[in-house]
Amino acid sequence: MSQTNTAAQQEIPKEIERFDIIFRIQHIVMFTTFLLLSFTGWGLKYAHEPQGISSIWIRIWGGAETAGLIHRIAGIGMLLDFISHVIYLIYLFATKKMTINLKTTVIPLPKDIFDVIKNFMYFFGLSKEKARFGKYSYAQKFDYWAVFWGMFIIGFSGYALAFPMQVSYIIPEFTTGWIWELLGIMHSDEALLAIVFILFWHFYNEHLKPEVFPMSWIWITGKISTENLKHHHPIEYDLLFPQEAQKDKKE
Amino acid sequence: MSYKKLLTVFAPLLFFALLLPQTVFAQESANCLACHSAMKGKLKTSGGTLIELNVDTEKFRSSVHGSLSCTDCHMRFSDNPHSSPSASVPPQVLSISSRISSKHGVDPVAAAACNRCHEEIYNKVLGSVHGKNITDKNQTDGALCLDCHGSPHYITSAKDPTSKISRENQVETCGRCHGDKKIIEKYNLQENVMNSFQESFHGRKLHLGHMRAPVCASCHNSHDIKSKNDPSSPVFGKNKLQTCGKCHEGANEKFISAITHRPPGPIPHYAEKALILLTMGVFAFVVLHVLLEAFSDIRDAIFRKEREE
Repeated sequence: MSQTNTAAQQEIPKEIERFDIIFRIQHIVMFTTFLLLSFTGWGLKYAHEPQGISSIWIRIWGGAETAGLIHRIAGIGMLLDFISHVIYLIYLFATKKMTINLKTTVIPLPKDIFDVIKNFMYFFGLSKEKARFGKYSYAQKFDYWAVFWGMFIIGFSGYALAFPMQVSYIIPEFTTGWIWELLGIMHSDEALLAIVFILFWHFYNEHLKPEVFPMSWIWITGKISTENLKHHHPIEYDLLFPQEAQKDKKE
Repeated sequence: MSYKKLLTVFAPLLFFALLLPQTVFAQESANCLACHSAMKGKLKTSGGTLIELNVDTEKFRSSVHGSLSCTDCHMRFSDNPHSSPSASVPPQVLSISSRISSKHGVDPVAAAACNRCHEEIYNKVLGSVHGKNITDKNQTDGALCLDCHGSPHYITSAKDPTSKISRENQVETCGRCHGDKKIIEKYNLQENVMNSFQESFHGRKLHLGHMRAPVCASCHNSHDIKSKNDPSSPVFGKNKLQTCGKCHEGANEKFISAITHRPPGPIPHYAEKALILLTMGVFAFVVLHVLLEAFSDIRDAIFRKEREE
């Protein structure tokens, strides 16, 4: 085995780029604004309870007016970040720098559901194999699309709540009896969902998991080691290094 | 005349103006307070009402009415001992006192005396839904001056955080009646107004100390308060355009429907239920997955070491 490895090391790089600089910046803006929005929004959502703590918390953020301003600025920042991401994707597709390959795509596929089932069977000891992933595991796809869901539900409702006067001109007449209430509920309930999701799902998978603790460094370096790639994204590894995959199979 | 010259003329006058009521106070009120500041407890009148006998001199003096003498309001009580107060009372005060006697059984003259200085405001109150409830329907639970401003001897400025009508306390003060089930039922008032305000963005911001968040009176007015069904109410129909417009410049008809005390309609109600279901579902999946994965990692690390080569 050691012989084949030394022979292959000339062909296989030590690490490959997983996220380019634009994606990394978009991620940084996303989590910075996310944290600001969560911290300031939490105080407003739970303004009355627990007794007085929210008032102190909001005072830490500079009082209700300042916290509201931070929340609005961060919200606009996040929306712009999201729009820039979509525009960048369009650019990548238009210039054919990115193409859809079903083995590496982030688009959810039926395979992801089977992967979930497979992994649950593994967790329960019913299967000896874990699911094999392409470039994105179902956990990562979930993470990614959760942002889209959040942007549509929380982002748009947040924009409407921040600029009610402007939005009031475009909402249809028949919705006025319930739309404002609905916007408030959407914004607040889905924000809670987003926070819970990030806190449990993203934090465990990218921070607390023993193999990545304290965090996966890909968000800074953008690079993943081929060893890591082989272990966690074997389908992508096979696709990138077919010869190596052949050799492994022979063994 | 220059500003400085004006000052030299008026400054001494102002100074004496400050001294004057103090001296009057010292002469007249001191007699009353000599006993009433030391008295403790309550007295039952022949009508069966309990009246507080104690007047805290310090608190009274620091209130906005601290410079008034007792008989400015308690007009009938000119003699001492006051077993049968009978001093003459201006006809206007007397007429008001007879209209509000259902509420103030003990000394309606003193409660009507506010009118002497606050005539315009007093008339507004009498014409309001609160006032008419007392004067026309002879009810005892309609709000008059003291129900909102607290004890007449200790009224402080509305800007004072301890005032019952300050931004800090006003909602609670209104809620003593508008959150009271008996009163809501009796007068068929809008239910749940306290909760709906607290849950609203306005109520939350107010609670967090937002300086421009509205309190009850910001939208409903204070002294000339009207039923929400009264066309002259600031929250009636299109009047909200102007009322909301005080803070939200350019408020239009689609905008003013945003804030009400009504319970949420079916659409927001079921949308909320659906979103809660979604949140619980996602939460259950996420937590289950994370826990099972962690346990399987521990299991693998302990029992299946050899499988990892």
